[in-house]
Amino acid sequence: MWCIFHCYTSLTCLSHVLLALVIGGLIYFLVQRSKNQVLTTEDGWWGSGAPRDAGEDDTIRSFRVTTSDQELEDLYRRIDLTRPFPSLEDSQFNYGFNSQYLQKVVSYWRNEFDWRKQVDKLNQYPHFKTKIEGIDIHYLHVKPKKVPEGTSAVPLIMVHGWPGSFYEFYGLIPLLTDLSNPHNLVFEVVCPSIPGYGFSEAPHKKGFDSVCAARIFHKLMKRLGFQQYYTHAGDWGWLVTTNMAQLEPKTVKGLHLNFAPPSKPGLSMALSMMLGRHFPKLFGFTDFDIQRLFPCMEKLVVESIKETGYMHIQATKPDTVGRGLNDSPVGLAAYILEKFSTWTSHDFRNLDDGGLTRKFSLDDLLTNVMIYWTSGCIISSMRFYKENFGQGLDAPHAKIPVYVPTGFACFPNELMHTPRLWVKQKYRKLVTFTPMDRGGHFAAMEEPQLMAEDIQKFTKIVEGKVKE
Amino acid sequence: LWLECSVAAGGIMAYIVYKRKKPRTIPLGDGWWGVGEKTLSEDQKIYPFQVETSDKEIEDLYERIDRTRYADPLEDGKFHYGFNSTYLKKVVSYWRHEFDWKKQVAVLNKYPHFKTKIEGLDVHFIHVRPPHRENQKVLPIMIVHGWPGSFYEFYKILPLLTQSHDGVVFEVICPSIPGYGFSEASHKQGFNSLAAARIFLKLMERLGFSQFYLQGGDWGSLITTNMAQMKPQCVKGLHLNMCMSNRGFKVLLSLLIGPYLPFLVGLSREDVRRLFPFFEKNVFEMLRESGYFHIQATKPDTAGCGVNDSPVGLAAWILEKFSSWADLKNRDLEDGGLERKFSLDDLLTNVMIYWTTGSITSSMRFYKENLGSNLNNRVDFKTEIFVPTGFAAFPNELMHCPKSWAQIRYRNIQSYTFMPRGGHFAAFEEPQLLADDLFNFVKKVEKS
Repeated sequence: MWCIFHCYTSLTCLSHVLLALVIGGLIYFLVQRSKNQVLTTEDGWWGSGAPRDAGEDDTIRSFRVTTSDQELEDLYRRIDLTRPFPSLEDSQFNYGFNSQYLQKVVSYWRNEFDWRKQVDKLNQYPHFKTKIEGIDIHYLHVKPKKVPEGTSAVPLIMVHGWPGSFYEFYGLIPLLTDLSNPHNLVFEVVCPSIPGYGFSEAPHKKGFDSVCAARIFHKLMKRLGFQQYYTHAGDWGWLVTTNMAQLEPKTVKGLHLNFAPPSKPGLSMALSMMLGRHFPKLFGFTDFDIQRLFPCMEKLVVESIKETGYMHIQATKPDTVGRGLNDSPVGLAAYILEKFSTWTSHDFRNLDDGGLTRKFSLDDLLTNVMIYWTSGCIISSMRFYKENFGQGLDAPHAKIPVYVPTGFACFPNELMHTPRLWVKQKYRKLVTFTPMDRGGHFAAMEEPQLMAEDIQKFTKIVEGKVKE
Repeated sequence: LWLECSVAAGGIMAYIVYKRKKPRTIPLGDGWWGVGEKTLSEDQKIYPFQVETSDKEIEDLYERIDRTRYADPLEDGKFHYGFNSTYLKKVVSYWRHEFDWKKQVAVLNKYPHFKTKIEGLDVHFIHVRPPHRENQKVLPIMIVHGWPGSFYEFYKILPLLTQSHDGVVFEVICPSIPGYGFSEASHKQGFNSLAAARIFLKLMERLGFSQFYLQGGDWGSLITTNMAQMKPQCVKGLHLNMCMSNRGFKVLLSLLIGPYLPFLVGLSREDVRRLFPFFEKNVFEMLRESGYFHIQATKPDTAGCGVNDSPVGLAAWILEKFSSWADLKNRDLEDGGLERKFSLDDLLTNVMIYWTTGSITSSMRFYKENLGSNLNNRVDFKTEIFVPTGFAAFPNELMHCPKSWAQIRYRNIQSYTFMPRGGHFAAFEEPQLLADDLFNFVKKVEKS
């Protein structure tokens, strides 16, 4: 017995030493490899048919959102033709959008929601369209009314995600372009629609992924006369702006994000998942981090599987899944609003009304849905998933870290919780990391005040550094 | 030495006892799926049923089809992004202008339909007796469909089964799974394959059959397997064209060694051809084709909402499967190879069953009810099947299951046939091949 014990301890000692050597070697190897890599890309053409020989029309045209009686009548007729199917007794939002509550939302939509009034609201900011790489790109361009003497407005591009739109930022824009607080910076904001979303034309060719969107947005900003700018984004916008920072690190002064899921689990992330619960201090984990991440299997794997069905089907069969949604406004609303419920808080799945109107007004939610409905863009919006996941998780941009100053706003109910350590794995120059008190995935729409404050805080620090 | 011997003997005895004690059946249980509280007594009568339609129903369908808002497909997208829009327009044009639903309803009604209430739900089924019964051995059989199919998938095989084959002929019962087609959908949560199996056993009992055969593919294979596990004494034989194989050590081992030494792990050359390269052929393909599975198993109410309003959306959702699951290579074709094995009339009749009954959402819920909790921990997945079993392995089935893997749970395999052609919808695509295999299997069982 003594013999066995002795052998065991020396074996474990030996194995520990070996393990340390291997890990040390790996770290050294990895550190050596990650040099200042820049993402490269080629030009693209997304119009139908072949690109025309004559140069592209690069004029910027004013654009107004419009509607018509015909559009509204068609919508109402379809709503009236809906064939609802009752949800199971006592199932709340656990099987998806609850049918009984959906009837209430639809009734509001049919009888009280005023689309013409919302269109006016959409038009309160100036909209434009311009052709880039063969497709019409839509965007808002909001200049501040006044700028403090001797300064200029800070250019900022904000990119939405799915199933959102430029409209998500309507609560945030006034806070950023407003001069009431003399200590605050004033921004000049550009909010484009990702091609295939809302009023931006959908690509006609295969292969339009986040890097293509990033390249197009760089061209847009250059066409508007900006040499350097900041970015803010969440959801898909996170990946598009990250790609922008990877493509042109000198042009992107600062990258502000509220969503940053790790694309490739690195060594430190893997170690933290294994040992983080027992040695939180070692990885810089707060109590909240522990609560959100462990037990890993349940919190990360099972929760993901429960909520990523849409992602799986959109990344494989977007034309099939979008097909019915482009004919049925109620189906479209259920599909989109389910996310506004569950991604604001997972607990909302146990509520009869999905907690939908706790953080959002029906007017705002339906306006976002109407942008998808009137533009008929649901299928093209879903294709973005296939184009991005089509290459698997091994795209070149997933392997290149980001050296542009980054600010991360960590909202407690975000879909994928990323502690500081995990964000730093990719964003090597993490200037600010702010744990927020409240808010979920659609943070800009839910908590515009908190978001504006964090953008201010981050930008001031980066601008301060530049002045030094 | 004495000590070691007795320890070994004790160990062997414990193993034997353990093995004996392993259950050979799964509990029957009970359920109530109707609205509100369970009623004291249930109406057990069997009522004849006719499929009907009306001008109003057809006009409503046409109005919705005319309102379809098409989107351009990506250039050269074929069927890689899902159902191709350009080809969909052709299918829909046929549906709108040439497909005759009234005629198809007459086709549906050529066999006698019935409904009866079991566990609070109206269960629909067709009951087909062979035309000639004299001097024949008439064997009762229940055939169960899957998703996105229906009892209609069997309309081609029914005439073959009700015709004598060496003095053997079938009397066929084809039910609709509750929540599919003309069977009422459950109003309570938890309606899974075990509940469906029990309801179908009660149905056979109510029809007066004490012993019968079973045939199934897709969900039907799981339900009929459950039936054989619940009442093996009633099930003379179980014939499947799809097998959900276990994972586990034995499977893993055969995956690792299979490509190099197949015979060592019980794989034949045909198995190797169909299985490997495993990751490319099975795992990646599965990932590419299982998006619908994932969303239906998690958010069926959301997924079903839009397709219950849009007949074109419903057709795309369902017919995409009839394209890919007949042959995965169909994704490379502009028309998805849809009409190579099926006629548009047959395909659209199946879609119309989902459309006119509005049952798409409840049909999707079946995925969540079965997969909501970890399936591998469910009692039926840990219990073996001892009833005589036959497998028809079609080459284009979604996932190939070699005999050695099937044997892990199906302990009494009497026949295992590599079929020359055909995919997932075997009865629909290759009725003659399936019928032949079924007759061969049944004759084997009857002899022993």
